[in-house]
Amino acid sequence: MRQEALTTVHKLARNNPRVLFIGSDLGAGTLEAMRKELPNQFFMEGISEQHIIGFISGLAQEGFIPFFNTIGTFITRRAYEQVCIDIALHNLPVRLLSGGGGMVYAPLGPTHTAIEDFSLMLSIPGLHVFSPADANEMRTLLEASLEDPRPYYIRFGKGGEEIVTSDFQIFDFMPRVFGLEQSEFVICTTGVMLQTCLATKQLLESDGRSTTVIHFPYLNQLHISEYLSLMQNAKKIICIEEHVPRGGLFTQILHEFVNLCLSVEKVSHISLPHSFSHNYGSQENHLNFHGLTSLAIYRKLLNLGN
Amino acid sequence: MEITYAQLASDSPLDEKSRYLRTLVLDALEGGGRGHLASALSLIEIVRVLYSNILNHDPTNPNFQQRDRFILSKGHGCLGLFAVMADQGYFPKEFLKTFCSFDSSLGGHPERFTLPGIEFSTGSLGHGFSVGVGMAMAARLRKENWRTYVLMGDGELNEGSVWEAALHAAQHKLDSLTLIVDYNQMQASGNSDLIVSLTPLREKFASFGFEVFEVNGHNLIDLDLNLRKQPLSGGKPKVIIAYTIKGKGIKSSENSTTWHHKAKITKEEILNLRRELLH
Repeated sequence: MRQEALTTVHKLARNNPRVLFIGSDLGAGTLEAMRKELPNQFFMEGISEQHIIGFISGLAQEGFIPFFNTIGTFITRRAYEQVCIDIALHNLPVRLLSGGGGMVYAPLGPTHTAIEDFSLMLSIPGLHVFSPADANEMRTLLEASLEDPRPYYIRFGKGGEEIVTSDFQIFDFMPRVFGLEQSEFVICTTGVMLQTCLATKQLLESDGRSTTVIHFPYLNQLHISEYLSLMQNAKKIICIEEHVPRGGLFTQILHEFVNLCLSVEKVSHISLPHSFSHNYGSQENHLNFHGLTSLAIYRKLLNLGN
Repeated sequence: MEITYAQLASDSPLDEKSRYLRTLVLDALEGGGRGHLASALSLIEIVRVLYSNILNHDPTNPNFQQRDRFILSKGHGCLGLFAVMADQGYFPKEFLKTFCSFDSSLGGHPERFTLPGIEFSTGSLGHGFSVGVGMAMAARLRKENWRTYVLMGDGELNEGSVWEAALHAAQHKLDSLTLIVDYNQMQASGNSDLIVSLTPLREKFASFGFEVFEVNGHNLIDLDLNLRKQPLSGGKPKVIIAYTIKGKGIKSSENSTTWHHKAKITKEEILNLRRELLH
């Protein structure tokens, strides 16, 4: 997904001199092809995220469209005030490309795991938060972003995710629905948990339990009102996210349910715990440990449904 | 004994215009009943010379593309900026009396979206310099000749992001960027050297790759001459360390932490400030 994102930025830059790529010491060879071909649109700055957010805000104020990529926690935690004031307050067309969403960087410890990035970014007025599921959705999102003058925060997965969104070739901010308009179970998810949830859907349906998965690539507004019948008729609704339970997709779902006067009684969730992990290992280890696997979600829904 | 820039700034007389601009500051302060008075009085001559002699700007068309960009990074000094902008014709002077009121365009820090002519909203310290670096880079990428000026407080130099910006400005050899430090050597809690010492400031900026100029920040000619100077070494950003007096022009506010920021200012206090300004 990251590679697709960077390649897409390169392509966009080729056709639009306003498009800039900015990294913060991302390692030798990052977007080398763009650096060689479009040196005036490529910036590899130092390890200085607070400054870089201000720097790209100045560029955006003057009409450029900066795409800034670094590890997610360095954007959301370290440079929070710059994101809030320099970018969001000024409503500038900056695209924050946030690497290592969730537990991707689990081996590097809690300083690098972006477990509360949705919460931080969604709390900023005017900042638009995205969590695409695969390289196809990443590409369509970035292409569509060129027409939007507002600021974006985009969470990346690890990369190599199975392509499951190929039916959707134009990014339109709307949820992606996989399944029927009526089903026993509804699984709400975002980002790279989509593939896991689709596997859960297969397991449930092999048991004859109808299941619909809704993927929300755009987290500011979920458009639940478009799916009232599905939500009202489902026996159980579960939210699956690689994020702490507060302030992310689960919270957004609860907000929209309350605003629509829908009962939240049948809504549950599986999230990362609201705590820093002091374990290492792989992302997969952590997802297994916290029940964010297709089998664990399947079992939980069966328990809830019975 | 050598006469220091700080001494020159202290002894520097104010002409009629500088006193008048200070009366405008007091008009706003009276209207709002609060404000960062002393922080504003230290930068009035700097902003006055910028708007009168240096910046390519047009109050009737504040966003024309070839204008020079000016960011007041120490946004709390906005009373001084507002006074100069009102005098330049950006808005009617009567607006000053609305300072900090609910629907005023003049808040306690300058905002781009409420006041035409404000390049970037500031208030939280340590932001304006990086934004200015981005603007200067934009001018280079567009091959345009406008310059970028960023005015910072010396207390603001405590912020780490400032030095990140300094490193990058030098790395990119942004010679269209001028940083001005309102070096009054005071901050909210007292003498800056006793809080986080910046001494020797000239050497600090020089070692970061800047062309450094020191001026008496209340002397119009000194400011004008140095703001016009281009770096002697090609490709260097420029910093002007402007020695100033916090609260300059009103004795009770000079070097005063009390008047750094004050709320619930009484009519009597305003009257006293006006009397002191006249004498």
